[in-house]
Amino acid sequence: MKIYRFRALVLLAVFVSTLLAGCSAGAGTQEIDKPDEPLVILEWTGYEVTEYPQFFVPFSDKYGDNINDYVNVSVFGDDAEAFAKVQSGFNADIIHPCSSWWGLYVESGLVQPLDVSRIAEWENIPEAFREPGKFNGEYYFVPWDWYYEALLVRTDLVPEMPTSLADLWDPMYAGHVSLWDNGEVSFATAALAFGIDPFNTSPEQDEFVKQKLIEIKPNLLTYWLDYTQAIELSASGDAWIVASAWQDTWSVLVDEGYEVAYLEPEEGYLAGVCGYGIGTNNTNLDLTYEFLNAAIDPHSMANFTNEYWYGAANFAANEFIDEGAAELLQLDDFENVLKNTRFYPPLTAERRDLLSDLWNEVKAAP
Amino acid sequence: MRDETSLNPPVSIQDGHGGIEKKLTGIPRRSQLALLVAPSALWLIILLVLPLITMIGLSFQKSAFGPDSEVFTFASYLNFWQNSAYQSLLGKSLWISLVVAGLSILLAYPVAYFLAFHAGDKQSLFLNIMIIPAWTSFLLRVLAWRLILGSNGLINTFLMWLGVIQEPISGLFYSVNAVIITLVYIWIPFAALPIYVALLRIEPGLLEAASDLGAKPWQGFFKVTLPLSIPGILAAFLYVFIPTVGEYVTPALVGGPNGLMIGNIIWDQFMRGLDWPMGATLSLVVMLIVLLPLVFMAKAAQQTGLFGGKSE
Repeated sequence: MKIYRFRALVLLAVFVSTLLAGCSAGAGTQEIDKPDEPLVILEWTGYEVTEYPQFFVPFSDKYGDNINDYVNVSVFGDDAEAFAKVQSGFNADIIHPCSSWWGLYVESGLVQPLDVSRIAEWENIPEAFREPGKFNGEYYFVPWDWYYEALLVRTDLVPEMPTSLADLWDPMYAGHVSLWDNGEVSFATAALAFGIDPFNTSPEQDEFVKQKLIEIKPNLLTYWLDYTQAIELSASGDAWIVASAWQDTWSVLVDEGYEVAYLEPEEGYLAGVCGYGIGTNNTNLDLTYEFLNAAIDPHSMANFTNEYWYGAANFAANEFIDEGAAELLQLDDFENVLKNTRFYPPLTAERRDLLSDLWNEVKAAP
Repeated sequence: MRDETSLNPPVSIQDGHGGIEKKLTGIPRRSQLALLVAPSALWLIILLVLPLITMIGLSFQKSAFGPDSEVFTFASYLNFWQNSAYQSLLGKSLWISLVVAGLSILLAYPVAYFLAFHAGDKQSLFLNIMIIPAWTSFLLRVLAWRLILGSNGLINTFLMWLGVIQEPISGLFYSVNAVIITLVYIWIPFAALPIYVALLRIEPGLLEAASDLGAKPWQGFFKVTLPLSIPGILAAFLYVFIPTVGEYVTPALVGGPNGLMIGNIIWDQFMRGLDWPMGATLSLVVMLIVLLPLVFMAKAAQQTGLFGGKSE
């Protein structure tokens, strides 16, 4: 009985001392500027700093284990979802929308202008990415990731390789084409296929594109909703051509050994850039800029590109990017890419509503 | 008359135990009832009544966000009234639900009949077998049809093996037919249950009497069993029809470009289009349309005593 009590005492002593040691160790690494409230980051799924520290190296290295005291990440899977959330009162300190939505955030007063002098790598971000985020002479978004929308083709299944977006309407592919269930993107795709500037249309041209989107229905297998479905449709062989597919869709299928091509259409790529904006009510700007600088850091960005094969907005990251990803992104010939590629410009609220109604009418059409 | 008394249990309870309960708890009977009802009533008010009021308000707003949300307008209703695409889609959704409800009842009736009259002492075993698939997630059961209807699915592979077809039939999956097949499969157990209950309530003596009077079995079925099971059939129809009109998941997963239903467009108005007023308007229109057969049937039931009980 005595022995037991002795052991228990020793155990207790060990336990208490480890606890104390742990506490003091924790106190040792703790930074002085621990905020009262963690930064609320509204982020895409698959990009969270808490899950993917390698995309934000200096920040995640510095705050490491205590990261939850500094940031609180909420995720979204769709730009509209994020916008609705912020619009209806979710108080996000940092938001990560894509370029077509940037104007809507600024218009609704949901983001504050950037102090670009506090972003160390600002000059390494190409103008083509920075400009869409400029409103009334001020920048509101730090461009971070960019992507192409290409044709994902099962080379072993198509009777003939498509070469252009217009080929999507070819009866040869009847029942085996999949468009993204996204009005803005499918509108741009159809407009481009028929030689119309997707970002500057007349009402007659809008109506024409709408008819074309209804006409393509017999060629469609289904609309794809998210990236997992795009992968699944292509992998099962049901969809020979998946339109508006992103690089990561392709990288997953290639890794799994499918015979797929990531095809740049003759009309050129449609492309988008996404970036971080600072919420209007965010007052903890020191920590915010620390986070943004960590995100745009060349090594963070290269880790990101090598993982998903998406583009890095900071071109200083290019030297750390793997060959395969660099080739896919055509980084060595970027001037040319810019000439042939159409980046989605920010939309106005009216245009967005019009495209969304147009798309719903296309889908509701018999 | 027997039904009459059994349907009025409060009377007997009040006579039998009311006084004792009051003595035991010290709470008056009226408050006891209120306490019992309060949790579910609260639940319904917070999760059904308030959202419904919000929806009605939303449908008259110009926009869900910003200063436009203060503007009162009929624009969404006008938009629905003028837009033939939405109307035809609503029509199509109603048609799909009608077909699904009809087919489910047609297929569920024999199952229910067998359960009620021929399953004998294995009744509960068969009943469980019928219900067990419903324990699996709805989503999984919808997705499972991909394995059957897909171009590499069971049906296509089998037909190609037989040599009946050379190329997979592509119209099976991602079509209106796929939506109907999947929904019928999902709703059969739910349609069978009310029919089964209605069949159980039929006095065996009635059928014996029919056969004693010279009715052949099929005459007995059409003159006795079927008419007496109509309450079950109507209940089954409502069970299937009402939730199916607003169906979202099934058409999204197996409907393809032509198999979409009104629920998909409502989802889109809320999630992608951010046109919450239009989404609310469409939801309310669907709700109203679904309410019509419900009210009609409830009235009919009251008048004819179809659901037993209150016949006077």
